[in-house]
Amino acid sequence: MSRPLVVCALALYALAGFAPIVAMALRVDASDFEMLLDERTLGLLQRTLLLGGGASALAVLLGAPFGFLVARTDLPGRALLRPLSLVALILPPLFVAITWAALSDVRGAPAAIGILGLHTFPIVAFFTATAFDRIDASRQEAALLAGGFRGVLRMELPLVLPAILCGACLSFLFAINDFATPDYISSVGQKFNVYADEVFANYQVQESTGRAVVSSLPLVALTLLLLVPALWLRRRGALATVGGSFRRPAPLRLGAARPLAFLFCLGVVLVASGLPIGRLVYEAGIAGRAPVVATGDIPMGTASPGLAPVGEWSFTGFRTAFGVALERARTDLGNSLVYSACAGLIAVPVALVLGHLCERARRGPWLEVLFALPMAVPAILFGIGEISVWNNAWGADFYNSGGLVVLLEVGRFLIFPLLLCSGAVASLSPRLEEAALVAGVPAWRRLTSVVGPAVLPSLLAGWALVFVLAMRELDAAILVPSANRTIIFRVFNQIHFGRDDAVAAMCLLVVFFLVLPGLLWSLFARRRVEVMP
Amino acid sequence: MSAAVELRGASVAAGGTKILGPLDLQVARGEHLVVLGPSGCGKTTLLRLVAGLARPAAGTVALEGQAVSEGKRITVPANRRGVGMLFQDGALWPHMSCSKTLDFVLRHAGVAAAQRKSRVGELLELVELGGYERRKPGTLSGGEAQRLSLARALAGEPRLLLLDEPLGPLDAELRASLLERIDRIQRARDLTLIHVTHDPAESQAYTDRTLTMKDGQIASDQGRSGRAGGTA
Repeated sequence: MSRPLVVCALALYALAGFAPIVAMALRVDASDFEMLLDERTLGLLQRTLLLGGGASALAVLLGAPFGFLVARTDLPGRALLRPLSLVALILPPLFVAITWAALSDVRGAPAAIGILGLHTFPIVAFFTATAFDRIDASRQEAALLAGGFRGVLRMELPLVLPAILCGACLSFLFAINDFATPDYISSVGQKFNVYADEVFANYQVQESTGRAVVSSLPLVALTLLLLVPALWLRRRGALATVGGSFRRPAPLRLGAARPLAFLFCLGVVLVASGLPIGRLVYEAGIAGRAPVVATGDIPMGTASPGLAPVGEWSFTGFRTAFGVALERARTDLGNSLVYSACAGLIAVPVALVLGHLCERARRGPWLEVLFALPMAVPAILFGIGEISVWNNAWGADFYNSGGLVVLLEVGRFLIFPLLLCSGAVASLSPRLEEAALVAGVPAWRRLTSVVGPAVLPSLLAGWALVFVLAMRELDAAILVPSANRTIIFRVFNQIHFGRDDAVAAMCLLVVFFLVLPGLLWSLFARRRVEVMP
Repeated sequence: MSAAVELRGASVAAGGTKILGPLDLQVARGEHLVVLGPSGCGKTTLLRLVAGLARPAAGTVALEGQAVSEGKRITVPANRRGVGMLFQDGALWPHMSCSKTLDFVLRHAGVAAAQRKSRVGELLELVELGGYERRKPGTLSGGEAQRLSLARALAGEPRLLLLDEPLGPLDAELRASLLERIDRIQRARDLTLIHVTHDPAESQAYTDRTLTMKDGQIASDQGRSGRAGGTA
């Protein structure tokens, strides 16, 4: 390992990922801890647990069978359904929430759980499918001979279970960190406040960083409790790893259950991503609006539920809406694209160095937990930490620039390309690096010329992942002034205050740029990406 | 005159358990030493210790009279030991063509850009891969891949060549031809060669000395004529 490179990467991680956490912790006062055990805090914890538990349970219920069906069976259209399922994860859950509010009267906890369950099911599906992909044909054939279809399931389930559980933990983490969905759901009906919006309120309304930090401590502890097993289970996913003589098994025949299985998978994809996109297309083509009647109490100080579309859809209206959307949000869209692309470009080389370190260093798994720490902190708190670091006399210029948004995005999302890189390095024979070492190649060159090109698909996927997550980043950036000039912030504001056809068109523009990297990847990429060691 | 390779009480441990040594061993310059033994006996660890890829637990390792590790401390890292190594699975870099592979090694061996192209050509000719410049490892047969691996190991003009069961996946005919080629190159360049294998028949015709290992220790050390070898 190249020491100068590792030191540079660690310094960048410390600045982008660790400094905000430390800055937050330093703002806590002893008196802030009094609120920790009051009834309100416990109620929040209960609701947050309900949201995370419910969303991850739904994600497993949908994702595990989905992953099995697309990876292991003769399901029709599985090659298309598998990548399409990822669109639900790429879509900002706020867009799903809009559709939910328009098409259903269910509000409160069930609505938030349903939306975030649908949003995170692709994580479980992806991990499950990848784990099934790594099971060798000979194992399946032996189980098939011994016990038929049931024998196969009995043999393979324990092998993929760590991957499913890892997906469930990540789904939980995504759900409890989401600020926009519970906030929006509360704004159109019965209030369902969880930690994320409580932290926001403590900071914004009560102007107390210490209270905001302390109020989230139970959540941080809970997240850490889930994060460590999630990372451990990800490594355990290697149970299903195969050797050099790997042979892909023949798909299991579903027989009479084939149409039913197809309808299930198609239904899940349509509800999770087709319906929200369809609804946005519909709203973008309708010019007329009428006020939405809320089904429950609208909390004080929250936004109006907006206007519901009336009248007929027309292509001219659709085109006009796009014209207006571009006129209103061209600069914000440009900012978002530049910030997100830069965040990806900075995060990927750092992720390569640190991912390689995690895989090859003796205490790698513990380093991985350290690098995942920003994930354990509620996103909104991370944003507060970033403000604490930079909102002062010497950091004022940077604080008001787009650079802070990029830094925040790198800090928040570095862990994802890092995990992709460490997974790819794990699947790379250490002999390749040793051959270069013996040949006299210095450490930094081994990383850039031997490891880097060999894990290139994972680096590209890492860039795309950071780009997508950064494009839709709202939870941490909502408090950062320079992030107010991004497309997702504008959409969030306008959804709350007078939603119209142009806002729907803006949402579609965001969706287009979110789906674009995945689309290009599926068209041009020929090599698969390793997500597990 | 100092030995090409010298081990004095050298050992390697993994997780607190000694997996090699303590060993005392001398390999003379230009000698072709074959190391035999069953799987897990420590032959590859011995090779990795000499190459600098395994961390020593105790003892001294010296190359050409210079100590490269003393005790647990590595004094000369692997990339400065000037050894060539052939790995069991070839360990060829999948994204580099034959000529790129050799050019990459030559560049780090300090060969000037102007000379590298001709040197790449010479090395490819040496292992009979002329015309394969643009081919990538994935398109080579097992024998061709190991020949490229040999050219890569020789590119830095090492004085010591380490072979870690490189002929395992090849058929008998290819093994014989590659061994013959390695022997020819060794004699022409007066290389010291340590060849690890689990197959006693392999390289019997070319070896100067055969070392048999068991449980991390030297079980026997025989010269070509059957007399005891250079164990201290």
